[in-house]
Amino acid sequence: MQVNGQPHPFTPGLTLHALLRELDIAPERVAIAVGDDFYPGGQAPDRELAEGDVVEIVRAIGGG
Amino acid sequence: MNPTDPLTIAGKTFSSRLMLGTGKYHDFTVMKAALEASGTQIVTVAIRRVELKAPGHDGLLDALDLDRYQLLPNTAGCRTAEEAVRVAKLARAATGVDWLKLEVIPDPKYLLPDPIGTLQAAEILVGEGFTVLPYVQPDAVLARALERVGCATVMPLASPIGSGRGLRTSELIRTVLDGAAVPIVVDAGLGVPSDAAQALELGADAVLVNTAIAEARDPVAMARAFALGVEAGRLGYLAGRMAERESASPSSPVAGVVRLPDPEAVDG
Repeated sequence: MQVNGQPHPFTPGLTLHALLRELDIAPERVAIAVGDDFYPGGQAPDRELAEGDVVEIVRAIGGG
Repeated sequence: MNPTDPLTIAGKTFSSRLMLGTGKYHDFTVMKAALEASGTQIVTVAIRRVELKAPGHDGLLDALDLDRYQLLPNTAGCRTAEEAVRVAKLARAATGVDWLKLEVIPDPKYLLPDPIGTLQAAEILVGEGFTVLPYVQPDAVLARALERVGCATVMPLASPIGSGRGLRTSELIRTVLDGAAVPIVVDAGLGVPSDAAQALELGADAVLVNTAIAEARDPVAMARAFALGVEAGRLGYLAGRMAERESASPSSPVAGVVRLPDPEAVDG
């Protein structure tokens, strides 16, 4: 699977919440995409991930 | 602080005609003080991947008073319509707002927007319920097409992003303004407050400024100066400028001027 453009080791049974814990990311104030599903971080379901999933985890930063 | 007429975008009314970016500030304290001094009510933010190796970070959204500012997330960095649509959806999920400054920019040197990709993305995003404010070159034909697909504003550039070169496109912006059905926001390249005044004098409805304030020696003072420039420009536009003339026209009456006798006309 890919997380933020990088290959990420996949383990069967891995869920989205487990991935966030593994990456030490607090879900508040981030947004997450799994494929074409988009979630505010705080409302992301603890869905099971698949080996081919493309995951994006983003936040708002300063910009014009 | 804002005695001019209000600005309405997508049914929301604002007393300030100055939008501010939040990039390039030295720290959040200076940024917040500059936002305050500018009187702005609309602020842009960018969307970026969280650093996986160093997740601890300062939260911009925690630093901003979200009751006070209309957030305007952008799609800066997107090179295609597809990337912009994806980032737009992430932006909405990250901020909870559906306003979007749409940027589709394939060219890294001049950061010029792709008109075709921008129009394609705008149409998709309007259909997905976004309030779309597209960043474009000042092209009146494109501007009308963006209006037709439902964009809330059109944001033509003054000069390249971050260049501080000022309003180099005024003749083209004039053609975008002529007959515009949505607010026209001059974005990018403004360097000094008089550039903002000039844009508003032309009839632009608002301007967006980032680098000129963030990179000023005193960003807070420059934010206030831009607010005054915008206010002066808008009042000047509403007041209606005089007609230009080819030659001089005396301001003082020509009758009754005190003159010495013309030596050639005096009898000897």
